[in-house]
Amino acid sequence: MKDENKTEVTPTPTPPPKKHNKFVQYFINLGHRIKGWFVDKWTAIKDFFGSIKTYKQRKLEAELVTNDGPQLTRGEKFRRGLKSQSGWLFVAPAILLMAVFTFYPIIAAFINSFKQGYSGMTGKFNGWGFDNFVRVFRGDTGTGGASFVQCLFNTLILTFISVPLSTLLALLISVALNSIKRIQKAYQTILFLPYLTNALAMGAVFATFFKIIGTASYTETYGIVNIVLGVFGIAPIDWVGLTSPHWEIGSLSIPWAKYVVTTIYEVWSGLPFKILILFSAMQSINKQYYDAAKVDGASRSTILWKITTPMIMPQISYLLVTGIMGGMKQYSAVVGIFGATMGQDYDMGTMVGYLYNYISLGQTGYAFAGSLILFIIIMIITWINNKVTKKHTTYR
Amino acid sequence: MRISIQHLTKIFPSRTKGGDAVHAVEDMNIEIPSGKLVGLLGPSGCGKSTTLFMLSGLESPTSGKIIFDDQDVTTLAAEKRGIGLVFQNYALYPHMTVEQNIRFPLDNMRIKKEEGNARALDAARLVQIEDLMARKPNELSGGQQQRVAIARALVKMPNVLLLDEPLSNLDARLRLQTREEIKRIQRTTGITTVFVTHDQEEAMSICDIMVVMKLGVVQQIGEPQSIYDDPNNLFVANFLGTPPINIFKGRIEGGKVFIGGEAVGTTEHEDQEVYVGIRPEGFIYDGEGAFTLNVDHIEVMGRDKSVVATHESSTKPTVRCIIDSDVALPANATQLKFNIKPYKLFLFNAETEERLR
Repeated sequence: MKDENKTEVTPTPTPPPKKHNKFVQYFINLGHRIKGWFVDKWTAIKDFFGSIKTYKQRKLEAELVTNDGPQLTRGEKFRRGLKSQSGWLFVAPAILLMAVFTFYPIIAAFINSFKQGYSGMTGKFNGWGFDNFVRVFRGDTGTGGASFVQCLFNTLILTFISVPLSTLLALLISVALNSIKRIQKAYQTILFLPYLTNALAMGAVFATFFKIIGTASYTETYGIVNIVLGVFGIAPIDWVGLTSPHWEIGSLSIPWAKYVVTTIYEVWSGLPFKILILFSAMQSINKQYYDAAKVDGASRSTILWKITTPMIMPQISYLLVTGIMGGMKQYSAVVGIFGATMGQDYDMGTMVGYLYNYISLGQTGYAFAGSLILFIIIMIITWINNKVTKKHTTYR
Repeated sequence: MRISIQHLTKIFPSRTKGGDAVHAVEDMNIEIPSGKLVGLLGPSGCGKSTTLFMLSGLESPTSGKIIFDDQDVTTLAAEKRGIGLVFQNYALYPHMTVEQNIRFPLDNMRIKKEEGNARALDAARLVQIEDLMARKPNELSGGQQQRVAIARALVKMPNVLLLDEPLSNLDARLRLQTREEIKRIQRTTGITTVFVTHDQEEAMSICDIMVVMKLGVVQQIGEPQSIYDDPNNLFVANFLGTPPINIFKGRIEGGKVFIGGEAVGTTEHEDQEVYVGIRPEGFIYDGEGAFTLNVDHIEVMGRDKSVVATHESSTKPTVRCIIDSDVALPANATQLKFNIKPYKLFLFNAETEERLR
């Protein structure tokens, strides 16, 4: 059957091109070339937008494409090229900021720690070497500065007592919190309050709790702690002041009373976050495990140590790692309780306190060396920590 | 161990103020002889799991008594009842190996290590998982996890074994296999076993005694076959059997049972409106009969044929008749006439839906 609508199209004869002289022809050709360039780009742009397809279409095409690869338009090629690299575009601001504020300081600290007699003011130094490190370890860093060994000792003692202690306490409190039903939310809020309070302010309050006014010969006003101790017949102790009791081993001073105060502070201020993490981890444990344990005759302590604790081991491990990292960097709590000199001549100095001390003294070389040592110590501890806890958390 | 449940009731208070309390289980009375396999059967929300948890001691009843042998255990704590419980999702401790999981109840009973190991191995052998003792639960298939859960429940040699929907997390093939396994284990150990299921086929296939429940109320207790052959009410008749029973609206007139205009059977009951239930296997075809069905299509299953038909009085969209494959059916018939086996025909009161016996 013949389609009646279809009429035969006779090709219209193309008119012969008009002849121009060479000069005019040149500009005409130029015009054509310029127009062609724009047309070319315009098609590219049209391809580009035309090639934006839905995920479904794209997937369908990908399935149709054989080994020869897809026949891509220029716009599509450009778009894909851009897309494969576009990830960099998104992370660029972050990388830039990190380069300036993170990577450069780390590298600079690393390099500067090897500059002997480095002056932070002028940037001048005497030469390269390990002089800074040697002096830091020997304590040969001039008068008026903190002792590195003392600061390191303090930091390690405070960290390795307060972090496990507060994690354990947080675990027990979380269990208790998990087992009560009434006003659970209220308790949770109260326990979380210290997290919202400033460290220096809390430190000042702690100092007041433990304070003793006067000297050994004149002691009239005690802090609340000494008053409570007095009820049990214990003589007032100068917890935070100049006459605070301490032991001495060689050049090392062990101000145990101050350790007690700082540890209590650290434990108390570390609890809220740890409780929050552990409590929410416990809430997500399926209740049937407890039912099963109950039917199996497990006691409360068995349930805590054999069921609950292993199940929240990932969170506990996280808290230990971050807690120890934070503990190694503690500063504000000690300053809050003992003041800017961190006790008496830095006898409660911490590693970070040591760094600040030498920065403020203008001897930045020692601070750089100290920061590098601190960095290495934290790295080693974290590595060990990961090795140990990984063993217990690989069941998931 | 003999279990006696007397007037057991569980009422959950309403969560919202002024809402209705939920009567999960109401006035339940069951006597379970020692060493039997009992299935609690019913649709979801009928209180069967609640009953199981009350037996286990994890849930305390609102009123009523639970008696094991002669001891009243109603207020006894779960761990003192001497029960083994298998949870629906098994509740295996993920951080313990299979062996540690099975040993866990023994460790709590402070049983010596050698004896504990021996007993754990025995329990593992019983459920055939002795090769998997060193694995963690996440390295096991669903069926294997199920076995570990059963072994953990059996290892303390319980007086009563309780299983909460033991087969619901398994695939169809494994389900068949496991239900035979449960039956075998129950036979070997002789432990009184109660299990919960919503699958009537599952319950019928392995139970010694079946308890059919609906909305917290026990509908019927008995052997599976006797409940199937002699249902108490429309719900029980409807719930048991695959394919399900055919239900028609009918009436009794002068000692005859009518569906539409056709008399399909006789009865001694007074004239009244009734529901007529006919089991699919209750139809006889021999060329002529009293009951006419409009044939939709015929399914051939090999062993038998299934006539899928419609009837205006049917309460369901289709009527299903199962007949022997040797019976020749006329090809392309749009209507077939059947006779009804009288013992496969049940009459139910149209209002109370209770059986007219």
